[in-house]
Amino acid sequence: MTLLLDVDNLSVTVANKDLLSSISFQLKKGDYLCVLGPNGAGKSTLLKALMGIIKSTEGVISLNKQSLSDLSQKQLARQISYVPQVQSQPLNFSVIDFIKMARYAYHSAFSDWSADDQQALEHAIHITSTDLFLHRQMNTLSGGEAQRVMIAAALCQQTPLLLLDEPTSFLDPHHQVEVHQLIQNLNQQHNISIIEVSHDLNHAAQHSQHILALKQGHHLWYGASSDLLQTERLQALYQQQFVFTSHPQTGAVVALPSENKLGEAQ
Amino acid sequence: MKPVTTLIIIALSTLLILAVSPYLGLTVDDPAIQHHILTQLRLPRVLFAFIAGAGLALCGMVFQAMFHNPLATPFTLGVASGASLGAAIYVYLGFSFTIVGLDGGAFAAFIGALVAISFVYSISRYQNGFSPETLLLTGVAISFFFSSLILFTQYLSNLTDSFQILRWLMGSLTTVGYQDIMQLLPFVTLCVTAILWLTRELNLLMAGDDIALSRGVSVDKIRYSLFFVTSLCVGAIVALCGPIGFIGMMVPHICRLLIGSDHRWLAPASLLFGGAFLIVCDTIARLIIAPAEIPVGVITTLLGGPFFLWLLIKSKSQGA
Repeated sequence: MTLLLDVDNLSVTVANKDLLSSISFQLKKGDYLCVLGPNGAGKSTLLKALMGIIKSTEGVISLNKQSLSDLSQKQLARQISYVPQVQSQPLNFSVIDFIKMARYAYHSAFSDWSADDQQALEHAIHITSTDLFLHRQMNTLSGGEAQRVMIAAALCQQTPLLLLDEPTSFLDPHHQVEVHQLIQNLNQQHNISIIEVSHDLNHAAQHSQHILALKQGHHLWYGASSDLLQTERLQALYQQQFVFTSHPQTGAVVALPSENKLGEAQ
Repeated sequence: MKPVTTLIIIALSTLLILAVSPYLGLTVDDPAIQHHILTQLRLPRVLFAFIAGAGLALCGMVFQAMFHNPLATPFTLGVASGASLGAAIYVYLGFSFTIVGLDGGAFAAFIGALVAISFVYSISRYQNGFSPETLLLTGVAISFFFSSLILFTQYLSNLTDSFQILRWLMGSLTTVGYQDIMQLLPFVTLCVTAILWLTRELNLLMAGDDIALSRGVSVDKIRYSLFFVTSLCVGAIVALCGPIGFIGMMVPHICRLLIGSDHRWLAPASLLFGGAFLIVCDTIARLIIAPAEIPVGVITTLLGGPFFLWLLIKSKSQGA
């Protein structure tokens, strides 16, 4: 598979604090990378640096062999889309208007809504099953609905790479499964490359292809997701002991936080 | 109701107000004098009120969208005070210059406005984003600071200049003629054109900077352009007719209730409504104690104060 994203020695410093130090990794087309790490590890910072939201970066990020610093924000938005952790501003837009606004990068000041736009819109709505509440106001949606709309809007940008910042953190188990299935579907059926920030170890181990583990802004580990669930690895990452069992239905290995404190005998 | 229908209704009402208001309070019977009053006094005044009101309303709308706060306007954030100080210093120093035929006072006010807005923006940015409280308190602090500097300027001035500053600080359209319209029009036209050009960006800015950036909006570039044109517009209006408060807060808010939050509709609606609104306020100011007049700024502030409180209480009770 061909190389999509190449992050080389990325460092981010904001207000004299090193949020990320010399991070390097590569992402192939169609890959699904989960970024793990304790709170404050710089996971969200990494996504924001990729999306051009944080600009005070050092190092080279290239996408399809082109450096991101050579792209305008609009060009970037045709390559990478982003679903933030929480939508903080209460919005008085209808769902459909909000999703339509995501076609901004394909428009100039007074250009009309084109057939391509309409196709992208219908496709995004169809995949995310947001057609049931297209005319509701954004500020009346439940957490699960809002997250699907945010993903629909990002899809409407028709980018080869999608960044998701803890897309399921605030959702109940049912909606977590729903959103995870949606992301899987995007990756496998629609060939969208994905970088997801997550705290859900078992989801990351089972559904993603690769793992990037960050700790205090430093690269800790990168590897295949099937190698994630190992005692030392998780302990080094979270300062927490884990026990392992297998899922009663699928037989897959599942990690659970141990009752023991770190350093105690098992 | 569809936005286009609402906009047509607002446009027709505005035309009606434009047509009727010059005739109100016409007390002389002599047709020749009537004609003179209508064409030389009333008409320029109504047109001027329309342009100023439209400009103030649009600038208010832009501030509300950029700061994600219904209470953020050039007036509540101290930008108008900055402009006032610039204009007061211009009067005090006895400057009288023109730049490409435009009055230097407008440029002095523009610089004052730009200083104030840079100040508010850098403080709110330093304070980790735009917490509504920080933002408004910064605006209040800046307003006080500039107001005391204006008082100081006034104190230093001679009696004539001092009275001129005081009279103008009340916000008035009394002495307006066609030449004032020509002074104001270039600034407001530039600002209105820029804002109508950037309505899609304003929509995305409402969703927050992160979303706007991820959709491809060059947020900083857009924000600085908007600061620049709104400062020019507010500066010119303040220099020519004083700080007429609260239009920029009330009008966009009412329009949002009428036509929704989409700036492609909200901007033209605010423009028309703002123009018509200031004409109505000015007509009231002209008629209420006729034959004397009160400054129009008194009327808008009397309406705006309670409106501000209502918005404040409403936004608190919604937790937004």
